[in-house]
Amino acid sequence: MTGLAIRALLAGMVMFAAGTGRLATDLDGNAIDQLAPAGSRAVVLFFAASDCPISNRYIPEMQRMAKEFAARGVRMWFVYPNPGDDAKVVRAHDSEYAISTPTALDTTQTLVQMAHVTITPEVAVFVPDGSGLREVYRGRIDDRYIAFGRERPQAQHHDLEDALRAVLDGQPAPPPGGPPIGCSIVTLHP
Amino acid sequence: MKNRFPARGLVLLATLAACFVTISVTNRKVDAAQPDVTWSGQIAPLVYKNCTTCHHPGGGGPFSLLTYHEAQRWGAQMVTVTQSRFMPPWLPEHGFGDFADERRLSSEDIVQLAQWVKAGMPEGDPATAPPAPKYSETWQYGQPDLVLSVERPFHLPASGVDVFRNFVLPYPLKQTHYIRAMEIRPGAPQIVHHANVLIDRTASFRRAHPTQWQDGVPGMELEVDAGNDFDPDSHFLFWKPDTPVLVEPAGMPWRLDPGNDLILNMHLKPSGKPEVITAQVGLYFTDQPPTKQPMLLQLEHDSALDIPAGARNFVVEDEFKLPVDVDVLGIYPHAHYLGKVLEAWATLPDQQKRWLIRIPDWDIDRQSVYRYREPVFLPKNTVLHMHYIYDNSPDNVHNPHDPPIRVKAGNRSEDEMAHLWLQVLPVNAKKDGPDPRLLLEEAWMRNKLAKDPDDPIALYNLASSLAGQGKYADAVAAYRHMLALHPGDERALNGLGAALDDSGDWQRAQNVFSGLVAAHPESCDGRFNLASLELKHDQASDAEQQFRTMLKQCPADAGVHSGLGVALASEGSADAAQAEFQRALASDPHDFIALYNLGDLALQSGQFPRAVELLDSAAQQRPGDADAHEHLADAYAQSGRLGDAVIQVRAAIRISPENPALHALLSQALAATGDLQQAIEEQKTALHLAGNDADGWNNLGVLEARAGRNTEARADFLHALQIAPDHAQARANLGHLPPS
Repeated sequence: MTGLAIRALLAGMVMFAAGTGRLATDLDGNAIDQLAPAGSRAVVLFFAASDCPISNRYIPEMQRMAKEFAARGVRMWFVYPNPGDDAKVVRAHDSEYAISTPTALDTTQTLVQMAHVTITPEVAVFVPDGSGLREVYRGRIDDRYIAFGRERPQAQHHDLEDALRAVLDGQPAPPPGGPPIGCSIVTLHP
Repeated sequence: MKNRFPARGLVLLATLAACFVTISVTNRKVDAAQPDVTWSGQIAPLVYKNCTTCHHPGGGGPFSLLTYHEAQRWGAQMVTVTQSRFMPPWLPEHGFGDFADERRLSSEDIVQLAQWVKAGMPEGDPATAPPAPKYSETWQYGQPDLVLSVERPFHLPASGVDVFRNFVLPYPLKQTHYIRAMEIRPGAPQIVHHANVLIDRTASFRRAHPTQWQDGVPGMELEVDAGNDFDPDSHFLFWKPDTPVLVEPAGMPWRLDPGNDLILNMHLKPSGKPEVITAQVGLYFTDQPPTKQPMLLQLEHDSALDIPAGARNFVVEDEFKLPVDVDVLGIYPHAHYLGKVLEAWATLPDQQKRWLIRIPDWDIDRQSVYRYREPVFLPKNTVLHMHYIYDNSPDNVHNPHDPPIRVKAGNRSEDEMAHLWLQVLPVNAKKDGPDPRLLLEEAWMRNKLAKDPDDPIALYNLASSLAGQGKYADAVAAYRHMLALHPGDERALNGLGAALDDSGDWQRAQNVFSGLVAAHPESCDGRFNLASLELKHDQASDAEQQFRTMLKQCPADAGVHSGLGVALASEGSADAAQAEFQRALASDPHDFIALYNLGDLALQSGQFPRAVELLDSAAQQRPGDADAHEHLADAYAQSGRLGDAVIQVRAAIRISPENPALHALLSQALAATGDLQQAIEEQKTALHLAGNDADGWNNLGVLEARAGRNTEARADFLHALQIAPDHAQARANLGHLPPS
């Protein structure tokens, strides 16, 4: 479980992201320079790929959580980091899957690097920390997928939800119980 | 007169199911000094051979790998999933059974793929790349002869647990067809994990779910009533994303009759958005009836499935000794989410062990039927073994229960199953022995009863298989055993009555049917059997009454009209009988009894061409019915078509070679065509089979005399007179012979 060790090392990192310029773009090409509007208690980045079946299967669950936690000051973004997922493809995908959660195109993979994610679907949770954002959780959404070909009939542990509840309660987020399973993010600089 | 006994036969229960993998990673060092691996050179051929059957636009895989850029997008993924052997999907352990279409990459392939990705996925020279395979956007196998579609589109929710659902596709044609291939277009292939097709001969599932079947019925497994004829369900009709077309081997088409349903059992995986599924089944016909009749056999031990919570290595076994030689054509192991290691092997009579299959890490999501590259011959007295290990611990990620609970057998996905199906083709069967499938059925049912002595279906099927072999006394005993456990069971009573009648005890048979009808006045089968028995034993007016009651109570049935026709004909009401036969044909143009009897009536009234037409149709409906061929021969003879008459009598003789009357008839027909020598031989065969026939000896004498063999003729006439001293013809014929 080398992944866990790395995660533990990263847990205290402060990402000075907010207000430092363009992070990503929206579907109309406008720059997104602020992930957490004033008053947000946490930001969730859901890294997704329009052509990844496991990522797509999580859309209903992520939309549910976006709605459920919005009232508690949690802001969620659907982030598309793969080069093939341009505005046209993602717009069609958002429409097909009836996605109402704010969408970001991570064309420069700034968010990927900021969150240190490698997989879709994978999530990262940040909390405001001074003028920046601090990553408090990164990894799987739940434990439905243990590995390729190892899928539970339904999830037993909801890692992301547990992390969010802990953070909102002022507690440290428990680390994920296992690695994220899905499609590798196509890196811009192999 | 022909009577139909619908009670003779078997109920075969077919169970269905639906269906993950961990693997050892091939951990070879990637050597960067190897010659360049490129898409055009090595990778495209590998991907086209192993991946694009599913991974093409519209295919069962989630994305396409047909082009270099598509493969590049998924390169890193391909390395991960091939190294873990998640892809291509293939559960059986290599070397434990030799399967056709083994979908497995070699270790060298996997290393090569990793090398390619590590080197930055070079394309190489596109001009040297092989052309991408082409996949049809519609039917892969061409336009089908018949397309069946689900009644109503099914709406799969965007998320949630996997859905197992059964869709009924009624076969709409009024004629029987043989099916040489079937293609399934699931509508949204990427969400369909697998599909299994069952033939419901009696539309039993549809009738059991009258308001639900159009929308599909939930359930992982289902049972259908195979009806009343011994007709073992003989084909695996199993679809998975990489095999959209199921082509049957030569000589082994399967059959659909009017009134049959196909049931499409689908395992559906929510995709993240609502999906609408409109599955279609394409059928490809052949005119050629099957020449080989395989059978599905099952090993199982569901009654042993009582897995304590937390148990890691719970073993369930079954054994079955083959009563006949067989070729094993295919195998289908099945368990639900707790199955871990699934094994099957055969112990040959010389104690040699032959592996049939071994699945070291079962995954219900990847279940499949496996067909052997070459049939596996297993001689009589081979013992088949099923050995399954279940894991009901929290460490089994597929475990549907958290925390684990005690699990027993059942057809919900959270229950368990321990099934092993084999498709076998009996070989080396004795020509004059019983149908080897009946022997397999008997042994199979005895095996089931050894595990569960009160299993009503096994008891019934055992009795029926015994009756089918002509072991009527044993069949009667088995039906009585079943009735002792399940008193009043309608089907068992019908079977008992039929077996009693076949054993020659028709009075007791009549008592059984009468008792059944008295206790269950609504029983159409019981009343039909009683009426048929009454017909056979000259109680036409009683039979007429039963049939008339059935016309009021039972669904419109050609058999009732034709039965009533037979009763009326026996009572001398030829016109009324004819009208009933016509009604029978209006409802089912293939009703044998109506065709046969109308043909006979036409023959008697001198309408020979009409008789030929009707009796020819009758003989086509039941090619194994000697009487139909005999009467057709008569109609041909009366029409002056002696050659056709000879062909039909020969057909009858092939069915009943020991029937002296048929040989005598053939002799007459041959004599009429001028083939005296063959005519004499056939008459001799007739007399060899039944020597105490004065007419027969007289006829032989006439033939001998015509052939100029007066000495032989004289002896024949004398033989006739010895049997019947008053035989006037023989005496006169003797007088016509020139003095010796």
